[in-house]
Amino acid sequence: MRTTIPLVITFVVGLIMLGEAFIPHWMYRIVTENILEWGVILAAAAFVLGLINLIQVNLPKVLAREPEWGYKLVMLVALVATLVVGFMGGGDRLSNGQAYKWVFDFVFVPLNATMFALLAFYIASAAFRAFRARNMEATVLLVAAVVVMIGRVPIGEQISERLPQIVNWLMEVPNTAARRAIFIGAALGAVATGLRIILGIERSHLGGD
Amino acid sequence: MTARWLTLLFLLALASPAFADSAPSDAANSDDDDSSVIGVGNDSAGDDDDSAAGLEAPPGLMEAAAVAEGSMADVVKVPAPTELTVTAPKHNSGLNLDLSWTPHPDVEAARFTVARAESPDGPWEMRVEDLTPDITTYTDKVAEDPLNKGVRDQYYYRVLALPRGLRAQADEANLTKPADRFAFLDAHANSTPAIAGEPKGVWLNTSVGFLLMALIVLTVGGLMFWFTDRARKGKEVFIRRIPGIDAIEEGIGRATEMGKPVLYVPGIDELQDIQTIASVLILGEVSKKVAEYQSDIIVTCCIPLVREVADEVVKAGYYQAGYPDAYRSTNTRFISSEQFAFCAGTNGIILREKPATNIYLGRFFAESLILAETGFVNKSIQIAGTAEATQLPFFIAACDYTLIGEELFAVSAYLSGDPRLVSSLKASDWIKVFCVASIIVGTLAGSFGMDFVVQLFTAAGH
Repeated sequence: MRTTIPLVITFVVGLIMLGEAFIPHWMYRIVTENILEWGVILAAAAFVLGLINLIQVNLPKVLAREPEWGYKLVMLVALVATLVVGFMGGGDRLSNGQAYKWVFDFVFVPLNATMFALLAFYIASAAFRAFRARNMEATVLLVAAVVVMIGRVPIGEQISERLPQIVNWLMEVPNTAARRAIFIGAALGAVATGLRIILGIERSHLGGD
Repeated sequence: MTARWLTLLFLLALASPAFADSAPSDAANSDDDDSSVIGVGNDSAGDDDDSAAGLEAPPGLMEAAAVAEGSMADVVKVPAPTELTVTAPKHNSGLNLDLSWTPHPDVEAARFTVARAESPDGPWEMRVEDLTPDITTYTDKVAEDPLNKGVRDQYYYRVLALPRGLRAQADEANLTKPADRFAFLDAHANSTPAIAGEPKGVWLNTSVGFLLMALIVLTVGGLMFWFTDRARKGKEVFIRRIPGIDAIEEGIGRATEMGKPVLYVPGIDELQDIQTIASVLILGEVSKKVAEYQSDIIVTCCIPLVREVADEVVKAGYYQAGYPDAYRSTNTRFISSEQFAFCAGTNGIILREKPATNIYLGRFFAESLILAETGFVNKSIQIAGTAEATQLPFFIAACDYTLIGEELFAVSAYLSGDPRLVSSLKASDWIKVFCVASIIVGTLAGSFGMDFVVQLFTAAGH
């Protein structure tokens, strides 16, 4: 019973949602839109559970003064402070002059940008490792990458007028072919995974048989 | 005597200003199609004939129109479009109607306005005001709330050709209410006759594209059952070794030997994304193996709902492995629903708790490389998998093993070793064979000038 009821619900709801692709009538769409709305409500309710989880994970470590508890304290203080200024601001919390807007503009946005900016350095370090010509594949990767990089900057055209053409060919033919192969495979894998779940063949998420 | 008086009256009438004003107006009405000059007081019979009856100026409109009276002489009426058709689109939901019209070939309207009514007598509701002259089609949604307000059998449409300057006049007159504004525009623009359209919903989409999609889904389902049946009868199903998946078990073993946890990240997308679903399924198998090896698993989630499901899946894995006591709910953690905050939090866990093995399976975006490089700095064994083509190069560059595209969807079946699941992979493999055959046949046929395969798949795309 513990697995049968979820399997039946999965089958019925999955079939209804699959039908949306083939049944365009608005009456059917209302049913599927309602199911999606239930999903949105569940997702919204899960945010409360997420908040509880954050406190459950971090507060005991602060109270027990576990190693590096200071980071968790900063996180908890930031969490409470943002919640308080958000509630205080009410519906106008995103208006200019509100504390919540200030937190968003001058704390959250710069921190977000800082994390994103790290990507540039990580790309450089990852590229350095990836482009070492250790074997045949890595050498092909290195040569292709150098050709594409040089062909995409003005100096590439100065070196040879054919270089940008070679780059375009590399991007439009082998690169596009590989991407399409990945897309086709992934799409079929997604269909098979979806059907496995809907038909109840896959049930590892329910704890197996 | 009487005749002399009548002649005198006739001459006076001719000389009167009222008659003098009305004369060109009549002429204008008769010459509507030739772009005549109109005035505010020009409540022409011609307009009334074209536009539907029942269009009475609402209170205040005449006053507003009077404000614009001074400059209305500059506004030149343009002929209405012709050949207005209103049809229900093919394979339609029953909520849309397609409008199409032909503009006058000689005179260009400044804008077209589409109006709709539930009866040919109105009242008319403006659906869109400012379609540019090059636009000659419009799709109207007939009902926003069909369940509560219903859908009528018929709707009536008119298309107005707005002359240059008319909308500016309406703005000057401060006509902000849609009904007032439309009445003003309608009074000073030529319109097509009211044309009826019937929104017809269909219950089954029979277009080539959808039939092909249905065929693929049914074929995958059918093949899945066939291979599952064969597996049940004891026929062995061959599946190639996938090093990335084999490395998962090695990674868990390494974590056990080092006494460090395994970090699992199920992507950053919502639960309804198929990659997240596949990742959660894999998590079930991974957590079972982690429990069997008596190791620890930390799962970091970007979406609270994913955390709740992941927590249940990990718990089920520990129960299945026979170690329910080893399960700890606080190891499945919600970090943040913000992409880079989640990334920073997960990086913090990598650097502080130093997991021996990092498994990134699911849908990732820009954070993929930041996570993978931090894991590299920590000297963890890293196994990644995604169907997101833009992130694959990053994972390939920074991780030890990468599962590419479809391999992600095969992991759960591969790890479980369940013949029913493994045999289901065969179904998608056979569809891939069909795809490859179609590509080869299409390429050869296209090279010899036969484009039937291209046409079939082009139709399937619509």
